[in-house]
Amino acid sequence: MNNLDFSVVLQAWPYLWSGLVFSLALTAFAFVVGLVLGTCLALIQHFEVPVLGRLVRFYVALMRSIPLILVLFWFFFLVPIVLGHLGGSGRPVPIGATWTAFITFGLFEAAYYSEIIRVGLRAVNRGQFEACQALALSTFDTYRSVILPQVLRVASPIILSQTIILFQDTSLVYVLSLTDLLGAASKLAQLNGRLVEMYLLIAVVYLAISSAASQCVASLRKRYAIAGMRR
Amino acid sequence: MLQLAAGNQASIVTVENLVKRFGHFTALNDVNLTVATGEKIVLCGPSGSGKSTLIRCINHIEKHDGGRIVVDGIELSDRMTDVNGVRREVGMVFQSFNLFPHLSVVENCMLAPMKVRGLSRTEAHERAIGLLRKVRIHDQADKYPGQLSGGQQQRVAIARALCMQPKIMLFDEPTSALDPEMVKEVLDTMVELANDGMTMVCVTHEMGFAREIADRVVFMDRGSIVEEADPETFFRAPQTERARDFLGQIIH
Repeated sequence: MNNLDFSVVLQAWPYLWSGLVFSLALTAFAFVVGLVLGTCLALIQHFEVPVLGRLVRFYVALMRSIPLILVLFWFFFLVPIVLGHLGGSGRPVPIGATWTAFITFGLFEAAYYSEIIRVGLRAVNRGQFEACQALALSTFDTYRSVILPQVLRVASPIILSQTIILFQDTSLVYVLSLTDLLGAASKLAQLNGRLVEMYLLIAVVYLAISSAASQCVASLRKRYAIAGMRR
Repeated sequence: MLQLAAGNQASIVTVENLVKRFGHFTALNDVNLTVATGEKIVLCGPSGSGKSTLIRCINHIEKHDGGRIVVDGIELSDRMTDVNGVRREVGMVFQSFNLFPHLSVVENCMLAPMKVRGLSRTEAHERAIGLLRKVRIHDQADKYPGQLSGGQQQRVAIARALCMQPKIMLFDEPTSALDPEMVKEVLDTMVELANDGMTMVCVTHEMGFAREIADRVVFMDRGSIVEEADPETFFRAPQTERARDFLGQIIH
């Protein structure tokens, strides 16, 4: 232990920081896109929309059964080809690794969030829907004002754990030669030979961020807690 | 009898030859019922007799399979404009309250008037507080449903329905889920509402309440209306064997 030298970490800090910013940006983007799109996918299944409902079910099952790393590869190679065909030129249109990562993570996470929301929707008591009907609320207002707020409250712990997994998964972008926090640390570690220090440090950073996120959500839940409502 | 005669001119609900099935089970079989404006009807009968299903058909929470239902001049069909047109005028109170747990008491009462009637927040708030005062629970306006007792929750549910200014109120066993000591506060509220002239159809086994406010008691069994009469006649001299059995079971 006496041989540990953390001074390398200080020198490398700007590079690590840019890796961390990328990880956080990707997480935030995938969280927002995934949750919004996932909610839509869940509603399409919930309403049993003909044809579309089955397609969505297939999409969710597919995304959930394939490793993320494989989906990243697919998008990296397939999306340019599809865009080329759509554009009419037939030649692949490269979209770059960063866009590939953002789009893939958004679409991939949507599948996971949609499952969480879908289960949440099924957990809402039938009486809530009947009360909305009896009050002549439109379907939109029913879901917007009554059903989804309850679903999001009840599902928030599961949404949080999925988001923490998402944050850790951002490290997979190394397959696209992008540099996230883990990627930055491992490149530096190779360069200066201080593997142990680097990997120790970023483990602490991941731990700190994940537990900060948990704390943050716990306090949000406390602040917006509703007396007497099951949590 | 005066009520019945008046009913022909000013009926707010007309149910004709109503049929409702759940799979192979026929829940309602050829039911006819007319409710006059201002009339108070108590629906009773053994469990599974179809009384809840009947009132749930009146605001289309259950879709009927045959016959006609006309509410306030609108015939219920599958068209959502008709359905919502009816639901705007029909208030409903459920056995299990069904308040929105994530909204405060006053917000529960404000939601539909704002979204459906287009009231401003101030107007909706004013109306909500007024009706919460009427059911004597305005001091709890900012609490959440989970903090209230069953009786209080049911009174909030009544106020919530009244905030839409309905022309008729449906009650689906409003006191069945309550602890005995809370039944009275809810029944008192309903009696007051009846005295104000509200048109009411109540599914209930509270026979004291029926005696006090009902213009007509409708007895159902196995999906049909078996007997209907004013409460005095119904309780004193039920005409059918089935009504006698039923009364024998609930009045000890």
